[in-house]
Amino acid sequence: MKFRANLVIGGALFATVVVAGALAPFLAHTDPVMDANLMNAEVAPGGEFWFGTDAQGRDIYSRVLYGARISLTVGIVSQLINTVIGVCLGLSAAYWGGWWDDFVNGLTNLMLAIPSLIFALAIMAILTPGLTSLLIALGLTNWSYTCRLSRASALSLKGQGYVQAARVLGYGDIRIMLTQILPNILGPIIVIGTLGMGGAVLAEASLSFLGLGIRPPFPSWGSMLSDARDQITTAPWISIFPGLAIFMTVLGLNLLGDGLRDILDPQSRARTA
Amino acid sequence: MLQFVFRRLLQAVPILLAVAGLIFLLFSVIPGDFASTQVSDGRSVVDAEAIERMNRQFGLDQPLATRFAAYVGKLATLDLGTSFRTRQPVWHLIGERLWPTMQLAFASMMFAIVIGVPLGFLAALKPGGVVDTVSMVTAVSGLSLPKFWLGLMLMYLFALQLGWLPSFGYGDGALKNLILPSIALGVAPLALLARTTRAAVLEIMNADFVRTARAKGMSERRVVQWHLARNALVIVLTTVGLQFGSVIGQAVVIEKLFAWPGLGSLLVDSVSLRDIPVVQGCILVIVLFFLVVNMLVDVLAAIIDPRIRYS
Amino acid sequence: MLNKWFLTTALTLAAFTVQAQEQPRRGGTIRFTAPYATSFTSNDSHVSPQIQDEIYTYALHRSLYRWDAVNNKPEPELATSVTKSADGLTYTFKLRDDALFHNGRKMTADDIIWSYTRIMDGSKSYPGARHIRRIKGAVEVEKGQAKEIAGLKKIDDQTLEITLVEKADPGFFLYYGQTAIYPAKEAQAEGFFNKPIGLGPFKFVEHVPGSRMVLERWEKYFKAGKPYADKVVISPMGEAASRDIAFRNKEIDVSILGPTQYVAYKADANLSKGIFEVAEVFTRNMGMNPSFKPFADKRVRQAINHAIDAELIIKRLVRDKAYRATGWLPLSSPAYDKEMKPYAFDPEKAKKLLTEAGYPDGFEFEWTATPNESWGVPIVEAVIPMLAKVGVKVKIKPIEGSALGGTVQKGDFQAYIWSNTSGPDPLTILKCFHSATPQSACNYTSYKNPEVDKLIDEAGNTDDPAKRLDLLKKANAIVYDDAPVWFFNYNKAVMAYQPWLKGLQPNSTELALQQYDELWVDASSPAAK
Repeated sequence: MKFRANLVIGGALFATVVVAGALAPFLAHTDPVMDANLMNAEVAPGGEFWFGTDAQGRDIYSRVLYGARISLTVGIVSQLINTVIGVCLGLSAAYWGGWWDDFVNGLTNLMLAIPSLIFALAIMAILTPGLTSLLIALGLTNWSYTCRLSRASALSLKGQGYVQAARVLGYGDIRIMLTQILPNILGPIIVIGTLGMGGAVLAEASLSFLGLGIRPPFPSWGSMLSDARDQITTAPWISIFPGLAIFMTVLGLNLLGDGLRDILDPQSRARTA
Repeated sequence: MLQFVFRRLLQAVPILLAVAGLIFLLFSVIPGDFASTQVSDGRSVVDAEAIERMNRQFGLDQPLATRFAAYVGKLATLDLGTSFRTRQPVWHLIGERLWPTMQLAFASMMFAIVIGVPLGFLAALKPGGVVDTVSMVTAVSGLSLPKFWLGLMLMYLFALQLGWLPSFGYGDGALKNLILPSIALGVAPLALLARTTRAAVLEIMNADFVRTARAKGMSERRVVQWHLARNALVIVLTTVGLQFGSVIGQAVVIEKLFAWPGLGSLLVDSVSLRDIPVVQGCILVIVLFFLVVNMLVDVLAAIIDPRIRYS
Repeated sequence: MLNKWFLTTALTLAAFTVQAQEQPRRGGTIRFTAPYATSFTSNDSHVSPQIQDEIYTYALHRSLYRWDAVNNKPEPELATSVTKSADGLTYTFKLRDDALFHNGRKMTADDIIWSYTRIMDGSKSYPGARHIRRIKGAVEVEKGQAKEIAGLKKIDDQTLEITLVEKADPGFFLYYGQTAIYPAKEAQAEGFFNKPIGLGPFKFVEHVPGSRMVLERWEKYFKAGKPYADKVVISPMGEAASRDIAFRNKEIDVSILGPTQYVAYKADANLSKGIFEVAEVFTRNMGMNPSFKPFADKRVRQAINHAIDAELIIKRLVRDKAYRATGWLPLSSPAYDKEMKPYAFDPEKAKKLLTEAGYPDGFEFEWTATPNESWGVPIVEAVIPMLAKVGVKVKIKPIEGSALGGTVQKGDFQAYIWSNTSGPDPLTILKCFHSATPQSACNYTSYKNPEVDKLIDEAGNTDDPAKRLDLLKKANAIVYDDAPVWFFNYNKAVMAYQPWLKGLQPNSTELALQQYDELWVDASSPAAK
């Protein structure tokens, strides 16, 4: 088996972000919110402030570290919601078929037809900006691929001998779905979830740009980047570091997803597009 | 073929209806109303009576069910209602913005196809080679950048530093105004197309029927031409169709950044001003656009590969 | 007095000498930007209350008055003379006989009457109604009880009599673009707004919604020799980062700057030559809701004012793009009182006031804020640690820019941060602190003080301008002491302009509103042809 560069690099990048977020209280130099000090506003990167400071005089290094927590929360939680919705709908539709299958199919087509960013934008406007709203908005709008995939895989497994056997043994529907079908389709779903996490981190930045993201004082990379866009010419470091953090994280997740695909889903088609 | 097209058209109707219902319900619970957004500049003063009168005028004082019935009734006659903000028919406002959005969407998809597909193809011819590695790394990087950031960087580089292109606006609809926003918008689908093409080509190269064709003694070139191209094309086409959705979605950001007069910026303005009829109209038209594009894609795919029609 | 007269004359002369050296050049295109968030609403200037739309209205239309930016007061525009009746309620306007609509037809009193009547159409809720409502009989039209506004009387084609409901200078409300004069007959025709005509210095050419409006010189404009430019192109560009790049790339002639760009432009050798600063009539403040218990106590509100180092925020975060507030009325207001001192930054005193009010350990409140760079979340973020030092905890409640007004009107807040207009007419402005004004109108902090009510009423009834200003100064001082808000700053509006653009006016009501007939471009403009 050949050396899987994407898996290793992607995994390393992602692990770095996780560690940075987890250890933020120990690694950070200052409190990301309370240590605004206008006397230190817009200091360029250097000795005391590794990544420089922002307009409020807050240490960008510390904010980027804490930002990892928020961005990871956004990525992981919203994708978990998507995955749970997608898998539940997809599996049950395949297993039960009939009108339920038609309904799920219709719902999936509906979700595919509304661009997810626009849907998320609508939900954010309704729920008003904030972390919880963001998790809901991104968690509800991106499950259609997972759903289609689990439905298709489950359909092909439904007729398999061991599933039939479980039914003969009197297993309940839910039990069969969870114990017989789900484990066998998990690989591709994990791949989609990983790629989707990257998408969620980017979507957070887009929504921040449109004024509908998570709002300060708690740092999210998207809002840091979006708030600093007017200062690109004057104080580029304020946007470079959160921008870099987003780039590395999403890159890591994409590489990781590709790598996982090679292992977990060897006969993958070009379906994740 | 006609029957196939007709069936696809029929399938679109329930989706459109569902979208209409969904966005109606969503935006009926949105906090704030048009009348009160009018004072947010800190300069205008609107008293409660005026707000009430405005809301009455827009029918917002009616119960939800009545409003929904009126909305559906109008939709049935293809009437999208009247904008709160401009007091003009929603169709009129959308009509003004449709062409620039289509220009932008098609230009960015063209950009993605013209570069992405050959790139993916080249990469697949020699998996693991230099071309493959470089193009795939670039593709993944392109997927990992926040859109507005990429757009700003493009503006900075090509407009301000190099002075080659205008940094913003629609101009007279000239091509030079279209280039930067299309690139900013096209990079993500480009990356995905390159990857998809590569995967599709690789898969088909190893597929049984290609091996059989080879075994039959067809020359390598003919194998590539006959089987590969057709099958890969269908997959790529389908990807293009689906990508239209996310391109139109992301256009919201890019249009705002480049002051591009499309549906996306109309939608964002209307959401922030709570001009609900326009929001609903925009989303419906965007969904319709997506469905039509995908229908065309399916028809094309069916022409290329007749087996699809029956599946 | 003599000294002052001398100084003014000298300044005027100096201004004239500078002007004289530069003969306005005819021709070329002015490439203007409308810097606020949304696109232009439509081609109907009556429909929108937004400054954004007034920016094009200033090119296309004229109102009865215009804002004279140099002398900081309204001036009759479509009238050659105005006479006030003895009771101070009726004004007689001798209208210009050389004001032609863009189709060549002469404006008459009928056009003004029709336009004002249109604005009062109750079924349309035009924003200008709040101005016209001050004319007698306008409300009856709005409510559908009358067809004609009783207070508008045509004496002859070029003479119009306007009767008001209360003593006021009509100039202060009839200069807005929302009260633009349309051609009565033509405007009723089908399709008028596809290619609207008006009395302004420029004719409508095209409007690409969301992108730009193009206008060209009106040859028969009533001011001889004006306008200078052949064309005006106005692009709505709400995104500051994009505007910055377009300006640096010389694609646009003006840009409105935020604090960070202000610093950058000042530091740049070339850009710093084209910076235009004006003290605008906007007061930035944190409104406190008295129905939230701690804020009902005047001492707590004063403590907030003492606990925040506004000076430091203005200097470091707002980059001196503001003036420290010393009351509600701003620097450019005629009733501004130079003697007033800002609340001193004094955490000790703040702590003491809080203890007296029964909050020795402070309290926590929710602060509603929009993302605005100059008066939103970034400011709140800088204030949080300052208030924490006196024990007051802040929870930010972020909301969208456009939702702020509605939220505040409904009283759905503990505190909010906003930028409110505080001019040009001090009487209109201070009425927002009259207890008879509801929270939903502009008394956003439900302010109530009988003494202030009395002073404002007196100011409204007096005919003596000096006495009126004096009364308003007193009311302003009491409001300041009661501290219904944290007095933060008055905006310093900053416009960046290209070296070839001349004739900009220091409009303190809103710098982005320029009279295009006074602007011209010299031969060095890329669009000089």
